[in-house]
Amino acid sequence: MVQTDQLEFQYKNKEQLFRFPNITLKEQEHLVILGKSGIGKTTLLHLLAGLQKSTAGSINIDEVLINSLSHSQLDTFRGQHIGLVFQKSHAITSLNVYDNLKARLFFSKKAIDEKNIAALLKQLDLIENKKSKINELSVGQLQRLGIAMAVIHQPKLILADEPTSSLDDENCEIVMNLLQQQAKQHQANLVVITHDARIKSSFKNVMTL
Amino acid sequence: MNNLIISLKNLFHKPLYAFLSIFSLSISVALLLGIQQFDTSIQNQFENGLGNIEMVVGAKGSPLQLVLSSVLHIDNPTGNISYTEVQKLSKNPMIKDAVPISYGDNYKGYRIVGSTLGFAKLYEAKLLEGKEVSQSLEVVLGNDVAKKLGLKLGDTFLSSHGLTENTIEEHDQSFTVVGIYKPTYKVIDRLIITNLYSIWDVHHHKEEKEEIHDTHEHEENHEHEHERNTHEIDEREVTSILVSFKSPMGLMTMPRNINAQTNMQAALPKYELERLFQFTGVGVKAISWIAYVILLISCITIFISLYKMVKERAFDLALMRTYGASNFQLFCIVAAEGIIMLTVSLILGFIFSLVGLQFIISMFKSQFQQDIVLTFSTPDMVQTLCIIIVIAMVSIVLAILPILKMNISKIISDEK
Repeated sequence: MVQTDQLEFQYKNKEQLFRFPNITLKEQEHLVILGKSGIGKTTLLHLLAGLQKSTAGSINIDEVLINSLSHSQLDTFRGQHIGLVFQKSHAITSLNVYDNLKARLFFSKKAIDEKNIAALLKQLDLIENKKSKINELSVGQLQRLGIAMAVIHQPKLILADEPTSSLDDENCEIVMNLLQQQAKQHQANLVVITHDARIKSSFKNVMTL
Repeated sequence: MNNLIISLKNLFHKPLYAFLSIFSLSISVALLLGIQQFDTSIQNQFENGLGNIEMVVGAKGSPLQLVLSSVLHIDNPTGNISYTEVQKLSKNPMIKDAVPISYGDNYKGYRIVGSTLGFAKLYEAKLLEGKEVSQSLEVVLGNDVAKKLGLKLGDTFLSSHGLTENTIEEHDQSFTVVGIYKPTYKVIDRLIITNLYSIWDVHHHKEEKEEIHDTHEHEENHEHEHERNTHEIDEREVTSILVSFKSPMGLMTMPRNINAQTNMQAALPKYELERLFQFTGVGVKAISWIAYVILLISCITIFISLYKMVKERAFDLALMRTYGASNFQLFCIVAAEGIIMLTVSLILGFIFSLVGLQFIISMFKSQFQQDIVLTFSTPDMVQTLCIIIVIAMVSIVLAILPILKMNISKIISDEK
């Protein structure tokens, strides 16, 4: 469950104040947030992920008011309950695919289940690349690894920031299907922010900033 | 998976940076520890080599040369003095022991020293086997000599003239090994000890031989020969006298009197060695400063390497934060990289210093027949290691401080 209430944010030394509409998502509900560049989509996503602290308002994720958490509590909460997917997928460059997933679980203080990792890699067609270095992966493989990193710890909320904006239609559909499939599988809420109108039709809940 | 594994994988990800940092730091550690150990070992070795000798009396010349040649046996003597002077000096009531020594010959590079039984007492040398010298041309071997030359009781050898190994100027009379001393780790270990008569006999014999070859002198009659023998006692010479005093009063007055009133010189080994260490100390200090400069450069290398890593891998570190890692955890991961480099450098530096010291010691040994026993001065080593660790840790902490100010949101947004 995700709920925001009168959320506001202002960057230091900047005049612009972002005011965001309230969000209410029940369990396993998905939402796409559309909006043009500079409107504050990424800022909203970072607020939901606890990467920024709101100036006013509240964020409630699964009965936890995350803006009242201390820095270390927020780090732990983020690690355990939130999965992030970025437009350009990244992973820790010094680790291979498999170790990245292990590190993800280690940082979120969750038990490392090797069978679970192998199953997810198989599902995302990355099992052949489990020992590959990050710089050896193709863009598509990297994107799939990004999704794997976002769901391996079974989060309650998956946040995706422009996951399809640089992809062609075919890959756009593949990525969206994967995200929704993984969210469903892990019984998580999925929030996608994008200016890519192609994915609007995949969601019941659409919010425009 | 844990912080240490991630740190190690980070290090191996860019091995050249890690190698350069570790290599330069280990060289400076090796230099600092090596020079310190060498200096301490040499000083201990020399001071230990003095035995109970408080004063050396020999021919006029450089007092340091007299000490180096007659006490440490690593230089040439300043000349000879009359044996009569020795006898006079030993009667002085302030003197506890006056041990005359005479040398100028060697066997395979090891010096043959003619002296009295008091010589071994100066170094507290005890017999391992055999007996002390009782007749001319008998020798007792220092422990190193016996080991290196493989000589046993009853073996005989011919000595060579001079203090370096040669086979051209061999004497005719052979020495017989009658004893071997236990190791003392002092200078006596690398000497061949005989009595004064052996030295005089060998050289007297040589002079006689030279006379036989001289046709004019060959004509001389018995009367002249007899005349020479009657004067022999007055003509006998030794190289120097090693003196220990009954009280410090002797040490204060006698050297000045000898230097002022006789044609001999008195040198105080402790004082001369202190002077020598003051000279060598300048070199030690210079090398230490060079090592500190290298230490500073290697710490700057570590700083740059880690700082660059923090900057270049800012996104990786930000990603780790999104995965749930705390700032402190990231700090520990990067600090561990620096600490691993520091630890490896310290271990390698210590090994390099030992290897370097063994090399220098073997060079020293081949040049001076002097075996140096490595002495580790623990407080000095701990102090040096603390300085190295503090400087390195400061550079590590400075390099990774930016992690604490990292704005994850901005880094992730910028990377899009």
